[in-house]
Amino acid sequence: MARVELVHVKKSFGNTEVIHDVSLSIEEGEFCVFVGPSGCGKSTLLRMIAGLEETGAGDIFIGDKNVTDEEPADRGIAMVFQSYALFPHMTVAENMSFGLRMAHRPKAEIADKVGRAAKILRLDDYLQRKPGQLSGGQRQRVAIGRAIVRDPKVFLFDEPLSNLDAELRVQMRVELSKLHTVLGNTMIYVTHDQTEALTMADRIVVLRAGKVEQIGSPLALYQDPDNAFVAGFIGSPRMNFLDATVTSDLRISAGGVEIENPTRTRLDAGMRLRVGIRPEHLDETGGVGLAARVDVVEQLGSTSYVHATLSSGESVIAEKRQSPPKPGDNIMLSFAPASLRLFAEDGTRIR
Amino acid sequence: MAGAGKRQRLALRLASIPMGLLALSCLYPMFFAVNNALKTRHDYLLDRFGLATQPTLDNFAQAWTGAHLDQYFLNSVIATVGAVLLLMVVSSMAGFALASLRFPYRRFLFIVILSSLMIPVQVVLVPYMRTMVALHLINTHIGLILSYTAFFLPFSVYMMTAFYSTLPRELIEAARIDGAKLFQVWWHVMVPLGMPALVTLGIINTLNCWNDILIALLTMQKNRTIMVGISALKGQYSDQIPLFTAGIVIAAAPIVALYVIFQRRIVSGIAAGAVKG
Repeated sequence: MARVELVHVKKSFGNTEVIHDVSLSIEEGEFCVFVGPSGCGKSTLLRMIAGLEETGAGDIFIGDKNVTDEEPADRGIAMVFQSYALFPHMTVAENMSFGLRMAHRPKAEIADKVGRAAKILRLDDYLQRKPGQLSGGQRQRVAIGRAIVRDPKVFLFDEPLSNLDAELRVQMRVELSKLHTVLGNTMIYVTHDQTEALTMADRIVVLRAGKVEQIGSPLALYQDPDNAFVAGFIGSPRMNFLDATVTSDLRISAGGVEIENPTRTRLDAGMRLRVGIRPEHLDETGGVGLAARVDVVEQLGSTSYVHATLSSGESVIAEKRQSPPKPGDNIMLSFAPASLRLFAEDGTRIR
Repeated sequence: MAGAGKRQRLALRLASIPMGLLALSCLYPMFFAVNNALKTRHDYLLDRFGLATQPTLDNFAQAWTGAHLDQYFLNSVIATVGAVLLLMVVSSMAGFALASLRFPYRRFLFIVILSSLMIPVQVVLVPYMRTMVALHLINTHIGLILSYTAFFLPFSVYMMTAFYSTLPRELIEAARIDGAKLFQVWWHVMVPLGMPALVTLGIINTLNCWNDILIALLTMQKNRTIMVGISALKGQYSDQIPLFTAGIVIAAAPIVALYVIFQRRIVSGIAAGAVKG
């Protein structure tokens, strides 16, 4: 176990800077998730921690050691790849023991460690099989097994569940969380799937275009986003955004209604804003009502998502837990002003 | 639809006629050689194209010892095996480096190696000979092994680079993270995964080395390889066709055997299952 610290880390490919001055620290035993849209640099950042990409500037610490210029094998990390990267000509046991064999560990120790990892991952019956004879989920477990036997200080996961089907992904998500509880190692996990990030992380790092947008616990990011990007990226269905104008320092107009300024910030009249509201907050019985016409209703059993158009012409999604309306109905979507999140035109949050 | 199906079947049947003729044109010379090698000189003069009536192995024995094919055969085996193994090792290492490692001027070096594919052997014969003489490599097995390796290396490197480029990079990265040094990555990962390409390459290079006359003729002037020896038979024993064809059969046998044995290995790929499949 070790903490990981990035200090003013930068990285360029040719003339394009892909990581812009990132500093963050991941605590010992923490499950940290890097999340962001494709091309945001999350995988590059992980590969820099692994030592698979050179660090352009800045320092990377694992434990107390500066590993910026260390070889991947000397950093005390293990990595699980999206494509599993299992050696197809080796059996499961040979794949899992590869690192120990390279380190010339005694045979008894290798057998013991592989045996223990296989038990944790329920791979005992497959040790003599080749990866080609295993299912996707089993291959992923072998890749995790290969990481476990190395006894690393830090586990790195690069979109490990992307190649699995939806059902298996949910199952593996739970298994990985359990594994983290059992092993207690520091884990850094990269994904573009915000659901994976929300369900597994102790802390989430949201990245965009090589910059950290926000770091925080899943709930903090969900309830108290720093900017419109994080607010829109975290949460599914995504937060509704409405154009708004400040009518006086106490009131703003949005979606065809006037509401009181829910923030503590003094706003100038005429200022243009964006107002964010989550779908589940449009299901209140009291509060402010927005007149809307229902376009589509998605039934999910326990709840339903109503896609509707406001009188201002803007589209919103509302969650209705009881008595969902029908397409074509005219309804009132009510919300408490306190559940609104205000953003300036450049996307920064107004609190 | 039924009519179209019938017409298609007929077309396929017609197509098999030229295919059959093509196969026949490949097989007949082999039959001609084996058949005549089994005849006595007398039998051959009586009937050139008929089947051997009293098959004999005398021609093989005479060619093997009398015409020194035994020594020539051994020379060919040494040169071919040596060169093919050396080519496999060097091209697999170079292919690994060019396909998977990032080093300065990688693309430029690859283009230089590729461009040497376009230069015919004949063009470089004079500097080649001067180099061989200066290095005292004329009339040595080592000289011939090194010559074959040099001449067939560009294609081999090209083929291994192309093959290794198709392997997922993560395999190498996973091995590096697991503590494998570059040489260990090559030996434990690239060589076993490159086996399908290496076997194919081995067969192509065996054919090239074994069948070569030009380079062997220049390099082994006193001590011949089998193909040079066979060519010489043509002059020495031009009236003894059965003996000559026996020599041809001896020279061709290892290549035919090799092809029959390894045919399946060329087709099968062991890279299946490396990534999600």
